Amino acid sequence: MKIKTLEEILKKKSSKTEFAILTNLENGDSEIYLPGTSPKGEFSKYADEIENFFKSKKNGVIENSEIFVETYIKPIKVIIVGAVHIAQYLVDFARSLNFEISIIDPRGYFASEQRFPEIKVINKWPKEAFEEIETNSSTALIALTHDPKIDDPALQYALKNKFYYIGALGSKKTHENRCQRLAEAGFTNDEINSIHGPIGIKLGGKSAPEIALSIIAQLVSETYKK
Amino acid sequence: MKNSFDEKILDEAKDWINANQKVVLATVIQTWGSSPRQVGSRMIVNEKGDFSGSVSGGCVESAVVSECLSLIKDNKSCKKIEFKVSNESAWEVGLACGGEIAVYIEQIH
Repeated sequence: MKIKTLEEILKKKSSKTEFAILTNLENGDSEIYLPGTSPKGEFSKYADEIENFFKSKKNGVIENSEIFVETYIKPIKVIIVGAVHIAQYLVDFARSLNFEISIIDPRGYFASEQRFPEIKVINKWPKEAFEEIETNSSTALIALTHDPKIDDPALQYALKNKFYYIGALGSKKTHENRCQRLAEAGFTNDEINSIHGPIGIKLGGKSAPEIALSIIAQLVSETYKK
Repeated sequence: MKNSFDEKILDEAKDWINANQKVVLATVIQTWGSSPRQVGSRMIVNEKGDFSGSVSGGCVESAVVSECLSLIKDNKSCKKIEFKVSNESAWEVGLACGGEIAVYIEQIH
C-alpha cells in the first residue's frame, strides 16, 4: 500500500465517509472506492461484486479473483425515546457495536448533557425532534418512556417511515393498550405486529443494565436479518 | 458489527511511518471454520519486530511477525500466507481453534 493511499484512508475515516479499500492481492495495488462510482483500472470489471460487498456490509475476497474488498460503512442510526436509566446502559453497549445513538426526551430534567456526555440529546417532543434527524429504513427506534404522550408519536413516525427495528418498553398489558391506540390511529395489524413489544429478548433479568442488554441483543439480531 | 471507523490501527501505522519506521500491514483476508478474528482484522509490524493489533487470538501472531520481517529484509511488496491446521508450520504455531485463515501482508511505502 502506498503512503498516499493510507493518508487518504485516514482522511475518509475521520470524516466518516463511506468507502472501500480495494486490494489486488497479486501485485499489491490498492485503490479507494466510493460507493456509487465506477472502480478504476484493473478493478473496473468487478463493479457489481464490489457494490454487493457494500450491500451485505461484508469484507472479503471476490470469488474467482485475487481482489480483496474492505468496506467502511456508517454506523446504524438508533433513536431512543426516553433519556431514562436504561438508556444510559444502551449508550454504553451501542458505542462498541457500531450503532449511532440519538436520544429524544421532552423532559429537560432527564435529557441533560451531564447524564449523556457525547450523545446527541434532543430536548423536544418527538414530532419536532424528528425534524432534526435524518431517518430511513435503516434506522431503528427504541421507545423507553412507556408514556403514550411521548412514545406514541415516535412509534407512529417510525412505522410510517418503515424503520427496520421498532421496539417499545412496557408490560404485556401496556403493550396491548398501545396496540389498541395504534389500531385506532389507523395502523394495520401487520404494522402493529412489527413492533417488538414488550421489547427485548428473554434473559430473565430485571435490572437496568440487564434490560439494556436484552434490547441491544434483539437489535443486533434484527440488524443481521435485515 | 465491526466499527471500522473507530479502529485505530491504520492511524498507528501512520504514526510509525512518521517516526521513520518501516511498516508492514497484515490483514485477515479469508477465514474458514472457526477463527478468532474476522475478515478485515489488522496488525502492523515494524522492522524491529514490534507489533500492534491482531490477526488471531494469539495463535499465529509470532509467525506473521517473522513473515513481515522477511518481507522487509527481502524488500518485497506483498505476500499471501495461509494458516491451516493440516499445514505443518501452522501446526507448530498452533491454530488451536481448528480454523484456517489467510493473511495478506504488504509493505507501506
